[in-house]
Amino acid sequence: MTTSSISERKKFFSQNNVYLPHVCVIEKVIDETPTVRTFHFKFKDERLQKEFTFESGQFGEYTVFGVGEATFCISSSPTRPDHLEVALQRVGKVTNAFHRLGVGAEIGFRGPYGNSFPIDSLKGKNLVFVGGGIGLAPLRSLIWNVIDNRDKYGKIDIVYGARSPADLCFKYDLEAWSKDNTVNMVTTIDRPAEGWNGRVGLVPAVLEQVAPSPDNAVAIVCGPPIMIRFTFPALAKLGFTPEQMITTLEKRMKCGIGKCGRCNIGPLFVCKDGPVFRYDQIKNFMPQEY
Amino acid sequence: MVKKIKQADIGKLLERWAKDYRIFVPSRDGEITRFDRWDGKDTGFLSIYRNTVVPAKSVFFPVKEEMFSYKKDSTGYQLKVPGPSMSKKLLFGIRPCDASALAMLDVAFKEGYEDPYYLEKRRDTVLVGMTCLRPYDSCFCTSLGGGPGESKNVDIMMTQVGDEYILEGITQKGEELLAGVEYFTDASEADISRLRSVKEGALKQITRKVNVKDITQRIYDVIENKEFWETSAIKCVSCGVCTFFCPTCYCFDISDEKEKGTGIRKRAWDSCQFPVYTKMPAENPREEKWRRVRQKVAHKYAYFPTLYGGTISCTGCGRCIRLCPVSWDITAVINSVPEKVTTESK
Repeated sequence: MTTSSISERKKFFSQNNVYLPHVCVIEKVIDETPTVRTFHFKFKDERLQKEFTFESGQFGEYTVFGVGEATFCISSSPTRPDHLEVALQRVGKVTNAFHRLGVGAEIGFRGPYGNSFPIDSLKGKNLVFVGGGIGLAPLRSLIWNVIDNRDKYGKIDIVYGARSPADLCFKYDLEAWSKDNTVNMVTTIDRPAEGWNGRVGLVPAVLEQVAPSPDNAVAIVCGPPIMIRFTFPALAKLGFTPEQMITTLEKRMKCGIGKCGRCNIGPLFVCKDGPVFRYDQIKNFMPQEY
Repeated sequence: MVKKIKQADIGKLLERWAKDYRIFVPSRDGEITRFDRWDGKDTGFLSIYRNTVVPAKSVFFPVKEEMFSYKKDSTGYQLKVPGPSMSKKLLFGIRPCDASALAMLDVAFKEGYEDPYYLEKRRDTVLVGMTCLRPYDSCFCTSLGGGPGESKNVDIMMTQVGDEYILEGITQKGEELLAGVEYFTDASEADISRLRSVKEGALKQITRKVNVKDITQRIYDVIENKEFWETSAIKCVSCGVCTFFCPTCYCFDISDEKEKGTGIRKRAWDSCQFPVYTKMPAENPREEKWRRVRQKVAHKYAYFPTLYGGTISCTGCGRCIRLCPVSWDITAVINSVPEKVTTESK
């Protein structure tokens, strides 16, 4: 997995103190679902906005001033550097406070941290994206990244599901990808719902029905842990090897840089050795702790 | 360079060193002992003849510290980092186990992204070690490459011999500090032989042993063995005392405190023994107690060695044994990890 050079980044972006967030301004707020919102934001310092770079799969630490800091992936694509996007579900103290912020409000951001999707090794491959719920956020960064360089990649299948039609995130993206004839977009919901004419079924089962070929393919999976756990066997049934399965893990984090101690799976720190892992890197070690 | 000084002259010596250094000495606060600023007069701390309850790491990695504060003005949020502390410090009387722990924290806080708070406090620090003449029966430093008179992580090693203290210069910085202070006299050969026998006597008092042979591999061999860890964790009440007072534990929580018109981001010691430590909205990877106990033991004896060149991040200081309310004993756990399974038949 590619890791951005720490030494290169730490001087400029961390102001010599990696824990200090940069002040950013919210430019746009999008209601994704009743509990998920996407925030578009920019660095207040124009020079930072211009020079900031990241890779799909990396995450940041976000501050709601007066409340605290929390960890979220960057959900926008580095190929669209005008602003950054973060999608978050209202679940705790910081996310609830975040949801109360509107256009023009200031937040803090530090990052980017962690490794990223191995974009170079995906070139020339057929890509199978498997997402559930808000787990589409990190995949979405990579999907747009790939679509913006469409000729470098093979077939694209996207299997995405949520509990109900109202819980589908990034509906505008789902629509754009459905209309894109170079993408096979499959959307599903867990249970039948009124007014829903699309597929019904859990993501791993629908994935088996869609049955993408494992030939020259890589599957990139993100969703709730339970979905991830059932998706790997489904992929295996289709003939994907563990080396052809990639996921990005979520853990409680505080520092984001491998110091504070809580996001490890054995000697692997999700914040710096991950969050992106190939299934073969994690499948044999403490499978119950991710 | 080996020097000696009368106990009565220690105060004058510290006064001299205090001209260039901020001096930290063991001090007592009720039942708790910890390193604190020397008051500039009293040498009563010399009667604290056993290791402090709070490990010496607290000087560089305080229980709680401000990371920065922020305030909103007409142009938006402004951040302010607290000014640097006076950087030159001298710790007088640090025990070998705690000095060895600092060497491990130095690596962990420096690796990858540097931790500016710890490293700034730690910079230009002189460590004057103190031989443990009366170790606790919970101490097991000798199993982990240490010893009550071990000098490898300090600048000066100091040992009480009768009513005098013998100081050995270990590093160049230590030698420089010993030179040119009139309260010292050169130690004679008789002094040095007395020093040797005092240190040998101290060494003999460490009787608790832990079997660290192939321990990292042995831990990995039982890492998925739920029954082993459940047995090891059976008594534990998850109070976190073992980790809180551990000289090599360095995990922390980050939180914001709001005060009128301003917010302060602070960090504070945390513990992997608390379920909330890893709790996420939907799940908790270490909800079960045995997973948390496994994390504590395996971090010190397997993960840290994997990450940092084989170094076991336990110094055998014994605090987790003597401070535990239910007599949980890490040496019993380590010693119960099965011997390495040899696949070779020869």
